[in-house]
Amino acid sequence: MSFPIRRAAFLAAGLTATLALAACTGQAPAPEPTEVDPDATLRVGLVLEPTTLDIRRTSGAALEQVLVDNVYEGLVTRTPENEIVPSLASEYEVSPDGLTYTFTLHEGVTFHGGGELTASDVVWSLDAVVSDAAFVGHDDLASIASIEAPDDHTVVLTLSEPNQNLLFTLTGPAGLVFDEGDETDLKTAANGTGPFLLDSWVQGDSITFQRNDAYWGEPAGVGTVTFSYIPDFQAGVSAALDGSLDVLTPVQADLASQLDGVNGFELQYGRTTDKYVLAFNNAVAPLDDPRVREALRLAIDHEALVEVIGAGETQYGPIPSLDPGYEDLSELVPFDPERARQLLAEAGQENLQLELTIPSFYGTTISTFLVSAFNDIGVELTVEPVEFSTWLNDVYTNGDYELSMVNHVEPRDFGAWANPEYYFHYDNPQVQELYASALTEVDPEASAELLADAARLVSEDHAADWLYTAEQITAVGPGVEGLPADSLNSRLDVSGVTLAH
Amino acid sequence: MIRYALTRLLLLAVGLAVASAIIFLTLRVFPGDVAQMIAGTNGTPEQVARIRTELGLDRPLLTQYLDWIGGVFTGDLGSSFLTGTPVTAELAEKARVTVPLGILAMAIALIVAVPFGVLSAVRRGRADGTAISVIAQALAAVPVVWAGMMLVVVFAVGLGWLPAQGFPTATGWSTPWLALRSLLLPALTIGVVEGAMLLRFVRSATLQAIGEDFVRTAAAKGLTRTQALLRHGLPSVGLSIITVLGLQVAGIIVGAVVIEQVFNLPGIGRMLVTDVGARDLEKVQGELLLLTAFVLAIGFLVDLLHHAIDPRQREAE
Repeated sequence: MSFPIRRAAFLAAGLTATLALAACTGQAPAPEPTEVDPDATLRVGLVLEPTTLDIRRTSGAALEQVLVDNVYEGLVTRTPENEIVPSLASEYEVSPDGLTYTFTLHEGVTFHGGGELTASDVVWSLDAVVSDAAFVGHDDLASIASIEAPDDHTVVLTLSEPNQNLLFTLTGPAGLVFDEGDETDLKTAANGTGPFLLDSWVQGDSITFQRNDAYWGEPAGVGTVTFSYIPDFQAGVSAALDGSLDVLTPVQADLASQLDGVNGFELQYGRTTDKYVLAFNNAVAPLDDPRVREALRLAIDHEALVEVIGAGETQYGPIPSLDPGYEDLSELVPFDPERARQLLAEAGQENLQLELTIPSFYGTTISTFLVSAFNDIGVELTVEPVEFSTWLNDVYTNGDYELSMVNHVEPRDFGAWANPEYYFHYDNPQVQELYASALTEVDPEASAELLADAARLVSEDHAADWLYTAEQITAVGPGVEGLPADSLNSRLDVSGVTLAH
Repeated sequence: MIRYALTRLLLLAVGLAVASAIIFLTLRVFPGDVAQMIAGTNGTPEQVARIRTELGLDRPLLTQYLDWIGGVFTGDLGSSFLTGTPVTAELAEKARVTVPLGILAMAIALIVAVPFGVLSAVRRGRADGTAISVIAQALAAVPVVWAGMMLVVVFAVGLGWLPAQGFPTATGWSTPWLALRSLLLPALTIGVVEGAMLLRFVRSATLQAIGEDFVRTAAAKGLTRTQALLRHGLPSVGLSIITVLGLQVAGIIVGAVVIEQVFNLPGIGRMLVTDVGARDLEKVQGELLLLTAFVLAIGFLVDLLHHAIDPRQREAE
């Protein structure tokens, strides 16, 4: 989950003063670095630190972001643009009926601990996820009927019904391959096959990788990578400015100008699947009335909101532009406070009072915007900021809320709209059927069309409002080449990055 | 003296026992638990239930409490639900940042508070004495976060003298100058604000001392007022300062929670915030119990010291 926007106003004074001083001292432009150092140390500043390194049993973008592809690998992986490509499998084949997946493994792949990768490691790893509910992605692999290794370098998955999302699920934590019978304590250590070895994790501070010199593929472009976790956005910018970082991501939009072109830093804007979702509790009055939900959506000027946030794009339906099934649904919710007031009058809700439950680390920008927008149509919104764990308990688990706002990071998470148990409590059998057929559809194009149809229905029902899809601002320092731009909050593959002095 | 010490020690033990129960119970009042955090926003109720069972969170509260306290008696304060790291190891590691930070901050607070506090009392009613009081009043009202950011802007970003954030974790105190440099600004931030508060205390203690019989008597015997104050008054001011300093240990830990966030320091304060957020309660309760024990122990030492130094207390016994 989550990249917060906060403390904007609080920091405004500091920002101004910083800029003024930076201007006074006038850092002279350093000479352009040219010589690539293959053993360089890349210093990356991040915001959200994983709470444990146990990627098999703990969900969270912060874990996937650093560990997948760098330390651990799966049969397949995905590009920053969310395209599926082979990884530990040199190739794979899907049978025309979509029920059999045959993967051929690369030869000569070894684990960091020295073990050789064989098909039985893959079977062992996937079996664990399929059979134990405590593993991340257990539900997503439910359609797997059998996992077999006919020889040392071939793995065959047989499904009980086709699953269009299977390969995508395998690009995530559920598909990672571990050494069979390995007893590494995954909470604090790692034993993968990736281009980097986990060197150390200083909790509350940093994670360090060393290049894996025995890597089966293209060796990593730097010798060491340090990920420093800096939860305070201004402290992160300070760290970049005082020369402690080569890369900082994400940079909060209202602080980005401090780094733009300063000390050789350049800003890079990347697409994400970060959906800032204003959830309506579809099961409770008055939000069970679609007219009320539509009115709330019409009251929001999405273009203006994106401008206030500073980085992002509008998103008028449940599927973001990086995911299959996306289409522009802006015509469904034009900014129209007049019509919103009408709808509320029709619904008999002229003096509506609603409560928004929002994790406090998102700051106040969004909630202030919403309070004012809803006020214009006669809806009084009170804001209840809570800790994220409280949100998980009250809103996510117990469904005890009216409106809620969190950032849903995960790509291809449309399933939440087809699951009436999910905290949105949105229950439309037609959407559920469309989603089910999109999953079992073998042809990706046809599947995407079914998803698009389902997404349109969800947006027409005004099941929620999709405030915007975030863009991630990354500050890239001098000499850094090869850093991917998109999806960095869920996947930060640094193996192709080089650093010049 | 020994009887006094034993009584105090008994009080300390009772205090700790009560604290352990309060810590345990108040942490359970928080909504949400670590199992939900582990499962995240894709977690199913079955998954959460499985994790809860694995971690023993589905056992009755009393069982959980007794298990924990039983461990504490054998020196096992518990370990993290999330990483399995023992609480003691984590605290020892983070103390490398927070303890020196606290000592530095206290030293700075004393350097600010004692001379200026005494001066402002002695020069009461004159321009310089009043000026010190007013400045101290203003400084004590400054939010620590804001003070920290201003110091960063001037000394780190502007002048480039000191690092803006971070601690050299890789080398730690084996590179003492680097480590010390990284703590100077945060210590200054806490130290000046706490020092300004302490200053007002020193001032009133000094004023009180000036009015004490034994200072007046000394002055009557021919010492100047300043001499009398320095020789006979200051020890009594010193006693008051020790008491307040003991109380300020807790204040500095609280200050560290804020300042370690602003300066991105991997210390005890930041760890507590993270652990509470992640609902890693077994770890949090171990950490809090140790910190409580530390603060109570300081209080115990201060009491003993007071008792040893102050003749009035011994006579009263």
